[in-house]
This record gives sequence, C-alpha cells and structure tokens, in this order.
Amino acid sequence: MKKALVIVLLIVAAVPLVAAVAGLPPHGSPSNPTYTHVSAYYLEHGAEEAGAENIVTDMILNYRGFDTNGEVTVIFTSLAAVFGVLLLTGAVARKPAAPEIPVSMVVRFIARLLAPFIAIFAVYVILNGHISPGGGFQGGTVLGALYITVSIVLGRDEARRLLPRGPKPWLQAAGPLTFVGVGLLGLVLTGYYLGFPTTPALAWLRTAMIVVIEIGIGVGGAAVLASVYETMEAD
Amino acid sequence: MSSIFDLTLIALLIASALLAVRSKDLLAATIIFSTYSLVMCLVWMHRGSPDVAMTEAAVGAGITTILFLVAIGKTTRLER
Amino acid sequence: MSGIDAVIGAVTAVLAGVGAFFFLVGTLGILRLPDFYCRTHAATKCDTIGAGSILLALAIFNRLHPESLKIIALAALVLLSSPTAGHALARAAFRTGLVPWQRTGAKGGGS
Repeated sequence: MKKALVIVLLIVAAVPLVAAVAGLPPHGSPSNPTYTHVSAYYLEHGAEEAGAENIVTDMILNYRGFDTNGEVTVIFTSLAAVFGVLLLTGAVARKPAAPEIPVSMVVRFIARLLAPFIAIFAVYVILNGHISPGGGFQGGTVLGALYITVSIVLGRDEARRLLPRGPKPWLQAAGPLTFVGVGLLGLVLTGYYLGFPTTPALAWLRTAMIVVIEIGIGVGGAAVLASVYETMEAD
Repeated sequence: MSSIFDLTLIALLIASALLAVRSKDLLAATIIFSTYSLVMCLVWMHRGSPDVAMTEAAVGAGITTILFLVAIGKTTRLER
Repeated sequence: MSGIDAVIGAVTAVLAGVGAFFFLVGTLGILRLPDFYCRTHAATKCDTIGAGSILLALAIFNRLHPESLKIIALAALVLLSSPTAGHALARAAFRTGLVPWQRTGAKGGGS
C-alpha cells in the first residue's frame, strides 16, 4: 500500500519534470541561445571588459563572482565541519599508532631541495592566474600539498612553523574575507556588491581586484587544506 | 570529434570508476580513484580546458588522495 | 636548414622511442615481476627514464622555444622525484618487514 503510494507520488513528481525537459532546446545544439549569445559575448568582450586575459578567470571572478564567493565560503565551511567532527567529538586517533619509521635522508634532502621550487610554482600559478591557466584554487592546492609534504617529511613541528598560531585563523578565512572586502569595494565604487568598475580609466583596478581575490583564495585554500590535514593527522 | 584517443580515455575512466566503487580494499580504491582523477585531468586537457585540468590534477589526484590515505591510516583498511 | 631539421627529427624519434620502450618494459615489469621490490624497481624505471626521455624529446623537438625550458624543468623534477618516491616505497616496505622474494625450489643447486 505504502509502496504503491510512493510510486504514484514519484510519477506525479516526474511528469512535470519530463515535460519541462521535453520543452528545453535540444541538448548541445549549436543554435541554443547559450551558445549563440552568452558565450559569444563573453569570449568577445571578456578580456577587455572583465580585467583578466584568461577568460576562465573573467568568468569565475567577475561575471560569476557571486557563485565563486559562495564556493569560497563553502571551502571555509568545510574546514569548520572537519573541526566540528574531529575536534569537538574527540574522534581522532583511537587506533594504536603504526611503528614510527625515521624518514630517509634521501627523501629529506630531496624534499628540502624541491620545497622552494614548489612554493615558487604555487605563487606563480596564483599570481599568473589572470593571464594563463591556473589561479587561486589551483595554486592554493599546490601550497597546501607543499605543507603536507613538509609535515610528512620534515615533521609536524617544522610544518607548524609555516602556519603560526597567531595569524592562522585569518589565513584560514582569507578567501571569504578578501572576497567580501573586494565586493564591498565594488559596492562603494559602483553601487553593486562585487561590481567591477567599467570606466577605461579604472581598468588597472579591475585587474588589481581580480589579483587580490586570487591571492585571497590561494592563501585561504592553502591554509584550509593544511589545517584539515593537520587536524586529521593530530593525535 | 571522438577519436581513438578520446574513446580510450573514456573507457579507462569508466573502468577505473567502476573498479574504485567495487573494490573492497579501501587503499586500492583510493589509488584507483586517484588514477580516475588523472585520466579525468587528461580528458579535460584534451577537451581544451586547462584550468579545470589543473584543478583536477591538484585536488583530485593530489590532496584528496592524501586526505583519504590519512583517513584510512586512522581507521581501517577494509570495507565492512 | 633542412640538415638541422633532420638531425632534430632523428634525435627526437630516438629519444621518444627509448621512452616508449622503457614505458613498455616498465609496464610489463609491473604486471609480471614476482614481488613488491621488483615491481617498484620496474615502476621507477618507467617513470624516470621513460618520462624523462620523452620530455627531453619534446624539449628538443621544440628547439630553443621558451616552452623547452619549462619541459626541461619538468624533466628535472621527474628525474629528482621519481627515484626518491621509489626509494621511499622500497625503504618503507623493508622497514615494515616485507621479505624480498627468492627463487623457490633453488635451495640446493645454483640459481
């Protein structure tokens, strides 16, 4: 009886959905308005209008800035969730630790040798995100991976020096904070939250705003990933 | 449009996805999942979206795998 | 100029062929060798020499383009990191007590 009711309800819910899908323009057809108007406009005007050479950066930080703002907040919230689950419930490390094996000298040497290059690459990806592929998310992940490598190879204490206790909360919240900061700057300048100035005289400011957001996302993402790892690894 | 290269990548993608889901050994599943991410990264790259490919390589094949490995190290290796 | 072209083409072909050969052998080794240490050895060869020489081939194929520098940097990274990874894997396995494989049934005579 209950099952039949569920099936009937599902059918009732499915009919309008199927009808709506049937009414959509054909999937992937090049004559869809999305392809003929929106994409074409962005591809044509993106570079000069939005302030970054890389059209993807234009898209995620300028045209679709609200979405990315939410996304950055989600990343920050995930850290809060990890803290909530692991720290507050005390569910970390109930298992006897594996026998400690000292890290090999070779690995230690290579890690020390490569770490500065990895850091430079991460900074390059973050700062160059508005010209070439890459950006805050990618570079931030590389920075986070560097922290994890340092933590594994050179020890937890060495890694902790990279993320000192004092500025740590600010670094973790850097993504949302810079986003809101730049958004408010846009509010002051143009009257819209996350509005980018459109006058040609302020073109440099558009690029500067995008770079500031990229740095914020990069630092914030790296700090969040590093602290997630730190929290999971702590015992 | 769909060359042999594309088809090979997609076959690899589907195979690794199925293996990752079906594997009872979580460590093996994690490694296969990172393979999936690498293949996915190649697909993005071949489709002309280097930004997404970089994200996939860094997040999917790098960080996620490490976090999964840490989680497995803290819990059990075999699925119950 | 065509002489230089021919030389560059030949060097590229040889290096790429060496890379492909090492990848093939390395993959066969991963599939066929008997224990963890041997397979690690095969996988590391595959990464180091295979990827290294293919990247070198690409760098030479591009001539003195700025891209070549990036590719050479990549090759250097692979040449440094891949043996280190192999070393770390084998060392971790040995320290946790994985006994290396020995030919069974060869107790009495030679190997």
